Amino acid sequence: MSVLSTDRDVPSGLPRKGSRASGYDLRPSRGLFDLELGDVWRARELLFVLMMRDVQVLYRQAILGVAWAIIQPVFAVIIFTIVFGHFARISSDGLPYSVFAFAGVLIWTYFSESVRRSATALVTDAELVRKIYFPRLIIPLGSVIAPLIEFSIGFVILLLLMIWHGLYPTWHLLAIPPLLLVAGALALSMGLWLGPLNVRFRDIKHTLPFMLQIWMYASPIVYPPSIVPAEWRWAYSLNPMVGVIDGFRWAVFGQGQLNLATLGVSLVMIAVLLVSGLVFFKRQERVFADVI
Amino acid sequence: MTTNDIAISVRGLGKRYRRGRRNKSNSFREVLVDGAKSLFGPRAKAVDDGPSPDFWALRNATFDIARGENVGIIGLNGAGKSTLLKILSRITTPTEGTGRIEGRLGALLEVGTGFHQELTGRENVFLYGSILGMSREEIARKFDAIVAFSEIEDFIDTPVKRYSSGMYVRLAFSVAAHLDPDILLLDEVLAVGDFTFQRKCIDFAHELEKKGATILFVSHNMFSIKSMCQRVIYLKRGEVVFDGPTDEGLKLYETDCRLAVAPWFHPDPDTPVIDITDVELIGEDGERKQLFEFGERMTIRVRYDAKDTILDPDIRIGVNRSDEVHCSTFSSVADGIGLSALSGQGEIELTTPPIKLVSDLYTLTISVREKKFGRLVVARLGETFHVRHPVFASNAFGVFNEKGNWKIASDNSAGMYTLMPRVSAKDNVS
Repeated sequence: MSVLSTDRDVPSGLPRKGSRASGYDLRPSRGLFDLELGDVWRARELLFVLMMRDVQVLYRQAILGVAWAIIQPVFAVIIFTIVFGHFARISSDGLPYSVFAFAGVLIWTYFSESVRRSATALVTDAELVRKIYFPRLIIPLGSVIAPLIEFSIGFVILLLLMIWHGLYPTWHLLAIPPLLLVAGALALSMGLWLGPLNVRFRDIKHTLPFMLQIWMYASPIVYPPSIVPAEWRWAYSLNPMVGVIDGFRWAVFGQGQLNLATLGVSLVMIAVLLVSGLVFFKRQERVFADVI
Repeated sequence: MTTNDIAISVRGLGKRYRRGRRNKSNSFREVLVDGAKSLFGPRAKAVDDGPSPDFWALRNATFDIARGENVGIIGLNGAGKSTLLKILSRITTPTEGTGRIEGRLGALLEVGTGFHQELTGRENVFLYGSILGMSREEIARKFDAIVAFSEIEDFIDTPVKRYSSGMYVRLAFSVAAHLDPDILLLDEVLAVGDFTFQRKCIDFAHELEKKGATILFVSHNMFSIKSMCQRVIYLKRGEVVFDGPTDEGLKLYETDCRLAVAPWFHPDPDTPVIDITDVELIGEDGERKQLFEFGERMTIRVRYDAKDTILDPDIRIGVNRSDEVHCSTFSSVADGIGLSALSGQGEIELTTPPIKLVSDLYTLTISVREKKFGRLVVARLGETFHVRHPVFASNAFGVFNEKGNWKIASDNSAGMYTLMPRVSAKDNVS
């Protein structure tokens, strides 16, 4: 067994006497706003690796691979164009209906995928949660970052479709990253609330699909917000996705007015949901391993 | 308590779990009814579950572990060993008490948690390494060493779902072995894989030890504990009942195992036909003991007191492993002992052949049956003993081990030859 004593086989260089930065305290409870975001930052590589894992696994052993990322939204757009654009003749604010719907579907797909994944990912990774410590926040966080890949692919297709229809993007495109950030923050805050609830009650998993479906029709995806009767506008804009989708169309097509009031309502609601979600998640996090 | 030499320091650590709460209050409807008050933490709903549904998996754990110390955690199943490790590694938070960990901690509560079936060995090395807390740069640097240690170079680009369970565990352990922690929490994971690989793992643990790492080791294998730890912490029903030198702690543990015997079994407790008054386990040296070496003969001396005459008795002594696997039974009838009757007081002595059971904790069951009717007249459970062997343990070698005669004919080379135990491909050259 002489091999065993060689350096190659036995890990070397431990323990690092100098590296005393690591180490931590164990305690039963924390302050309400002790969110330990530093831990999340230190675990950024794990966040990246877990995201890569999900992306790699999702399309492995599928002949069409990543193409699936856009097949679904494209088919949705085709159906919407036929049903709502041609049969129902719903207004599309002067744009070709297919392009109009594609923009809505694209940002909505990013949002709903993010919500779905961040709400269920803790349970999907139950084994990890039960056996290994890592800042649990990286799970919902990764769930809202990963769908950006599919979004990017879809966005390129949207641009091609626009150019084919003779529509050219403007400097408004610069507003897309901040709008995505807003959509991501909203999805994250939903995930922060729904994820821990799903750990305790799997009812969430079953409720989620139709909740998202209802939410979709309550958002201006297949129709423009102008179709909503004026006296109901205020209630309608309480849906924080209204401002985001409206803003996204403004950024993509460079037409019309950016409705800052609606967007402002969205931002306030998102801020409230996000902060309360973080606090809720951190409170619940301590029992994940015991309940999951 | 953060002097330079303390690696782990805990004060009054406790963890409370709720019994049966999953069925009782875990419905969505109930929480909706309870309203938002219960959403903001488990504390809010402490007293709505009826009479004392709580139990403490761990209570009042207070100890300091110095840098470089190797400590064994012992205790029966459910004593709180895993709970302690889970709290120390931050997987779960304590209900009460505080603690401080100094340095990088690696917890191997289960080898391979986090491996993904669809990914290749290479991808899993990076995934699992990150999960254990290594940086990508660190994994990349150690990658070759990890693969070499696991000895599965040829399959590193194969999805792990096509691995055998042995390969899987080897790769996972190799990643873990290269974590270089200051403090290592081990939950019986050292004993994985086959014989050669196990040796490698034990050598690895000793190597870590030499380099001054602090190791906390949970095991049922008293031999491993003895060979690795100078100190043991003995947990019993969630409390630390002993914290001190290994020999003393193991002695106490073994005594407790012995005292934890189940009461007598009598089919008719009011008028017992026969009592077993004492059971002694004696080694080859004539001493009473609980720890036997592999290959040693054991003498079991049973004293009985028969109130009535039992005709044609069949005396049976069974051996059960700690995980309830029934390993073997000695039967006086099967061994051809024609005993016509048992009456009054007396002694039965059984000397076993050399024990070839693998390293583990065993329990004896002693029973007397009437041969004619097969009726059980008395049984006693719970006499325990350990068998120790440095290598043969139940996780890899089954129930017992005997040497076999090997003869291997190769179609490629002329003639026959006997194989020496193969260590690795490189050693075969010499």
